[in-house]
This record gives sequence, structure tokens and C-alpha cells, in this order.
Amino acid sequence: MLNEERIRLMTKMAAYEENEGKKTIPISNYFRGDYISFQVVKGAISATIAFALVIAMYVYYDLEIFLEDIYKMDIVALLKTVLTTYACILIGYMLISYIVYSYRYTKAKKSLHSYFSQLRELYVMYEKEGRK
Amino acid sequence: MTQLLVIKERLIKFYARLEVYILPLLKFIMALVVFLIINGNVGYMNKLKNPAIAIILALVCSFLPSNMIIIFAAGYVILHMYALSLECAIVVLLVFVLMFVLYFRFSPKDSMAVLLTPICFALKIPYVVPLSMGFVGNPMSAVSVGCGTIVYYILKYVKDNATQLGNLESDSAASNFKYVVDNITSNKEMILMVLAFGVTIILVYVIKRLSLDHSWKLALGIGAIANIMIILIGDFSLDLDVNFGAILLGSIFSVLIVIILQFFIFNVDYSRTEYVQFEDDEYYYYVKAIPKISMATPTVKVKRINPRGTERRTMGED
Repeated sequence: MLNEERIRLMTKMAAYEENEGKKTIPISNYFRGDYISFQVVKGAISATIAFALVIAMYVYYDLEIFLEDIYKMDIVALLKTVLTTYACILIGYMLISYIVYSYRYTKAKKSLHSYFSQLRELYVMYEKEGRK
Repeated sequence: MTQLLVIKERLIKFYARLEVYILPLLKFIMALVVFLIINGNVGYMNKLKNPAIAIILALVCSFLPSNMIIIFAAGYVILHMYALSLECAIVVLLVFVLMFVLYFRFSPKDSMAVLLTPICFALKIPYVVPLSMGFVGNPMSAVSVGCGTIVYYILKYVKDNATQLGNLESDSAASNFKYVVDNITSNKEMILMVLAFGVTIILVYVIKRLSLDHSWKLALGIGAIANIMIILIGDFSLDLDVNFGAILLGSIFSVLIVIILQFFIFNVDYSRTEYVQFEDDEYYYYVKAIPKISMATPTVKVKRINPRGTERRTMGED
């Protein structure tokens, strides 16, 4: 027999899974710390790629001058400035990632709250049916 | 007014019924407009310029997630740039990659704004974007709109200097690159616009959320005026020659458009028909869930039988 009440509940849940849940349910598989640190690491990688691109662009931009001066330059000092900038950008970007993703995690948890209570409701329904 | 409300209700019903077809159609139109505008403005690769290619690509886009339009458009632009000059293609590619890597990882939803900004610029109503993003977006949308503005000005620069860029000598690639980058980054109008749009978005967003009556009207008015003021002040202090009449007209048009959008789109909950599938131990379910829409009949007569009884009011539209 079709249990209409249960179908209604399941439809609601399926609709959630289709829309908002697509983002939030994967998040619920992680612990908070794991999720955030994973995202921060990803952020660090993209910041590194971006920085490498910008540096490459910068060198290419002044290529002729750069090639002329390369023997005269104080390579150590240059490397120092490059590395400090890199560190600053990296830390800044990781910080932003941290803030954004911890906010997202909290939001996802909130949004999942009613979904989980629906899951419990469904479970109770099954229990009752099983007993009959 | 009641007429408009009825039209709105009809629209909602219509959308709820035909959502499956409307969404791909909208995507198709959007993608087509984007590709045609790109072709019209920076169409340097003759093979790609063929409208048939634009139509086919737009058809493909209509079935893919909406963010794919952006990827396709970016690729399309880069190919056209490549046909003009390698340096332009590299610069544009770099800008796109940086935007993608640094920002759109965070907010893929906002990426539509990046697409809409250059389109609205091309249609001479750029102010629609910051005003409406203030309503539907969040303060971070300022970054997306800023990216869109930068893309527009890069493409505009390429378009305005196409002959020069096409004739760059190919043996000095590095200095050509420098030339292109210098010209793009020294565009003060671009920086001014990015700034003005950013401030406008944040202003609209903040005022809209205040708990005042008519806060959205206030937000719209103040946002539009602030936008004009910033552009004017920047215009004078940076010595640009921005056309004041165009700004004023564009702003008025933009405000009108945003009011229409506000009425028909932003404030309306286009509840969607859901098609879901699930199963339990006994059955497979294929459910089509249609949202119930209560048609608010525009003329509600309230007859008071007992004047001292509980006050009843018709549900008013805000």
C-alpha cells in the first residue's frame, strides 16, 4: 500500500536533495575542521597558481630589461621580496578562505537541520509501519 | 496597479507550468545574445564569426549548467583575440584565469554578473548591473561586477585599437605585451567605474536591509544618485571626458529597468515545479510536485458586519 504521508515527506526531502542539498549534504560528510582545512589548502593552491602567473607576467612584461639586468641584480634581495610578497598573499588568501568556508559550514549545518529532522521522522514512520 | 499584479500572478503560473522549457530557452537566448555581441564587437576570427556557430554553441549552452555560458564566452573571446594578436590573447587569458582561480572558486553563483556587466555596457545601460546586484546579491558581488567591468574595458580597448594591435610587429613579442598591458592598466575610466559600481552595490545592499518603509525605493534612489556623483567627481578630478548626458540618461533608464525587474523578478517567488525520483523497499516514485499558487483576486470586498469585532484587513501588497 502507498503511504501518502510518507511519500509527501520523501518528496520534500528529495526536492531538498535536488536543490540546496546538492551543496549542503556533501559538506555534512566532513567534520568542521576537516572541511575548512581542506578548503584552505585548496585556496592556498589557487593562490600559488595565481601568484606564479602574475610573476610570469611581470617578468615577461619587462623581459628585455630583465635579461639585461639579470647579471647585475642582487638575486638574493629579489628572491626575498618575491618570497615575502608571496607569503603575504598566501596568508591573506588563506585567511579569507578560512572566514568564507567557516561561515559556509555553519550555514550548511543550519540548513541541514530540518533535513535531518525529516530523516528522523521518516525513520519513525518506518518503525511504526514495521510494527503493524 | 491591480492590472500589473494580475500580470505578475499570471507570469508566476505560467512559469510554474512551463519551467522545464522556459529555463533552457532563457539560457539559449542569453548565450546567443552574448555570442552575437562578442561577434559584433570583437569578431576578428572570420570562421568563428559565422552566426551558425553562435547558434549551435548557444543551443549547447541551453542544456548545460548556466555557468558554462561563461566558460564558452571566455573561450570565444580568447579565440577572437588570438586571431587579432597573440599578445591580446595572452593578456585576456591571464585575466580570465586569475579571475577564475582567485574569485569564482568562492562564489560561482555570482559569475553571471561578470557576463551581464559587459552586456549591459554594450547595451549602454551599465548602471542596471550594480543597482540590481545590490538587490539580489551581497557585498561580495562588487568583486564580480568589478571583474565584469574590467573585462568590458579590456575588450573595448581592443576594439578601439584593433588596427594598431593587428599590425604589431611579431618579432618583439615582449615589448608588444608590455604595450598592451600598459594601455589596459592605465585606463582611468575603468578604475573609476569599478570603484563607482562597487560603492553603489554596497550602498544599495546596506540601505535595502534597513528596517525602513520603502527601503528598496530609497536604496534604488540613493544608489543611482551615488553612482552618478562618484562618476562625476572622478570625471572632474581625473580629467576624463565622460559624457554627462549619457550617464544621466543611462541612469534614468537603468532605474526604470531595475524597478521593472524588482516588480516582476526580484520580489517574486517563482516557486518551481519539482520533478523528483526516489525509491523505497517496495516502489520507485517519480513525483511531479507542482507548487500551489493562490491567485490573489485583486478586488476583495471587505464587509464589516460587526464594527467592534476584530479588525480585518485585506492583504495589501507591499
